[in-house]
Amino acid sequence: MSLSKQKPDLEDSINVTEAHGRLVREAAACSREKRLAANGSEPISLWVLAACGFVALIAGGILGGGGKLLAYGSTFRPGYVRDPAPGAAAQGAQPKEALAAYMAKGAKIYSAKCQGCHGPDAKGDGANFPSLAASKWVIGETERFAMIILNGLQGPISTGKSYGAGMASQGAGLSPEDLAGVMTYVRNNFGNSTGDVISAEMAKAAMGISDARTKKGQQATADELAADHLKALPGEALDPKMMVDPITLAPTAAPKP
Amino acid sequence: MSPVISTTTDQDALLRAGIDRSLRHPVMFFLTSGAAWLAVSIFLGVISSAKVHSPGFLSSCEWLTYGRVFPAHINALVYGWGMQAAFAVIIWLMARLSRKECTSVGTILVAGHVWNIGVGLGIVGILSGYGTGMPWMEFPGFAWPVLLVSYFAILIWSFIQFRVRPEGHVYISQWYILAAMIWFPWIFITANTLLYCMPGHPVMGAGINAWYKSALIFLFFTPVALGTAYYLAPKVTGRPVFSYSLAKLGFWSLAIIAPWAGMQKLVGAPIPFFLPYVGAAATALLFIPACAAGVNIIRTMLSCRETLEVSPALRFTMAGIAALIVLALAAVLLNLPGSTLPLTQFSLSGYGFDILALYGFFSLVMFGATYFIVPRVTRREWLSRRLIKMHFLFSVYGTIFVALVALFGGLQQGVGQEAWKEPWATAADSAFPYAVTITFAWSLILFSNIFFFIHLTLMWLRLGRRSSHPTLLVSAHGPNPYGEEGDIDNAGPGHATAH
Repeated sequence: MSLSKQKPDLEDSINVTEAHGRLVREAAACSREKRLAANGSEPISLWVLAACGFVALIAGGILGGGGKLLAYGSTFRPGYVRDPAPGAAAQGAQPKEALAAYMAKGAKIYSAKCQGCHGPDAKGDGANFPSLAASKWVIGETERFAMIILNGLQGPISTGKSYGAGMASQGAGLSPEDLAGVMTYVRNNFGNSTGDVISAEMAKAAMGISDARTKKGQQATADELAADHLKALPGEALDPKMMVDPITLAPTAAPKP
Repeated sequence: MSPVISTTTDQDALLRAGIDRSLRHPVMFFLTSGAAWLAVSIFLGVISSAKVHSPGFLSSCEWLTYGRVFPAHINALVYGWGMQAAFAVIIWLMARLSRKECTSVGTILVAGHVWNIGVGLGIVGILSGYGTGMPWMEFPGFAWPVLLVSYFAILIWSFIQFRVRPEGHVYISQWYILAAMIWFPWIFITANTLLYCMPGHPVMGAGINAWYKSALIFLFFTPVALGTAYYLAPKVTGRPVFSYSLAKLGFWSLAIIAPWAGMQKLVGAPIPFFLPYVGAAATALLFIPACAAGVNIIRTMLSCRETLEVSPALRFTMAGIAALIVLALAAVLLNLPGSTLPLTQFSLSGYGFDILALYGFFSLVMFGATYFIVPRVTRREWLSRRLIKMHFLFSVYGTIFVALVALFGGLQQGVGQEAWKEPWATAADSAFPYAVTITFAWSLILFSNIFFFIHLTLMWLRLGRRSSHPTLLVSAHGPNPYGEEGDIDNAGPGHATAH
């Protein structure tokens, strides 16, 4: 049935065939489109409901598995974090070699207490703050070095040079481990390499000596240091290779596994 | 088909043709530049995937390191291709369904260029090392206000068209598209202001970021694709949508469930711990809207099998909806906190899920819409059946390889990661074959999408076939019910065929 044989109910002036032909040529894709039909009214199938219900059960299980969800006391379900391996909890931190462990502790003390004046490279400024690199006050006798840290230093030193107002006491708040760490750190860093580890026992002895000074509470002077403290601290330096706990610095009984 | 055509249908077709003509340049601009970004994104995806199994590949080039290429790949995919394809489809569908011509072509085109410049500068920013490190929000801080403003300038006209539409029924596609247009600014503004303007605790920031990712998929890309599929299926087959009640169930369950999903990514992290569990449960529950819409659309398409076989629009839509069903199953299977969820947290699986949603589901439906819309707005038919077929096959097989291999290979990788007494390299080794497969599959997809881009550009230049016969996926040697192919300008009276 061709279009030209149709008799559409229209006024005669419109040539339907021609108008339609133009439309088909210019908008073929649009004119061949189907209209959107009215929506179907099939009921929701039982299978869809069953599948959705099953998933809802799973989701309920997920939610229920969380335990008391609104308990703000902890941030995850008990038992979510796995148990440590057998024996791992008792081991604590992995032991380290003594030199590395003392240096690590000393680096923290240095940056808190010393770096402000002596600088991050320990070169000082030459006028108010002396350099610690290759200084005999540092790499020389350990008791003299400990007394300077614990009590400070004022006045001219043996070369006759005075560094500003001198150094203030740094002993407040230092534990023996801290003192041992920072001494080891400075003596083995910034170009210094004495290679020995000042033990916590030696540092403890230094604190005792410092408390027993006659001019307790005052800064030390070069003369006093030369007279009373020009010697090594009592006690044995640690073997740098010995394994210690990196936090307490106590020697570990068992060697590294 | 009998060519009985009344004048009202003719006038109707003229109105539709007028709407299509008014939208020619905006729609083609968004589709073509989107396809270009898609090719760029997949190219970057090939590079980043190659680095997973061959870490030395291009490692001397600073701006092609994995930490830059991978975010550039995903962001180009989301904002370059995904959002622009959505713009094209939204402005066209809303104009068609509200029966209004577009009167603000200039503004839309200017805003579209601004959007592209924003995305382009953002990608350059990521590649030169200024990425923010927040997944899917890696563009440097300047980009999001630019994108937001151009978003409004592009889509405000569709709101207006909906507002001034002729009285009557609001079609299912309009529900979805209108909802997506409103939800996008909500999630985009929420996530960006919370993360850029008033940053709180960084762990919560990571949670917001994970929610944003999930919400962008399920509150923007999903409704846009479902609205499109609800349009294409009944339109091309000419059959009614299978069930109106199922459509309502699908829409409202999506609106209620999807905003809760997303935070399961942070399970085990120090955030209030109902958040990840609610997220995991909501993601699993997303099976309900996906299943309702998927069954509805598939049943509608199956009511007219002969059309389904030959129509490129329907074939792509069918494949996309099939991917949606797989996505919904994956959403259930990957979110069981006792078993699978820890395996997916730091493995390839999350990537597989994203790609299945963005490429397997959303992009395939967008391709279907492209094959339907472009001949209408350009008034030319697609040039080559073979290019369409190749695009279809490579996309479907590529998606199967990329998404499914990443999903299940990621589970293997997760198992390797959980075996924490083994060296980490063991976990990486278990992902190796999957990573090689993904690179290969991305290369196939890249190949087909470069031709898709060329095909689209030729269509925009109106170099398509001048014919009244659609380009259908019929066999080259079989009988063609619509006459000889390449029948130029044969649209004499009485040849208007329906399809």
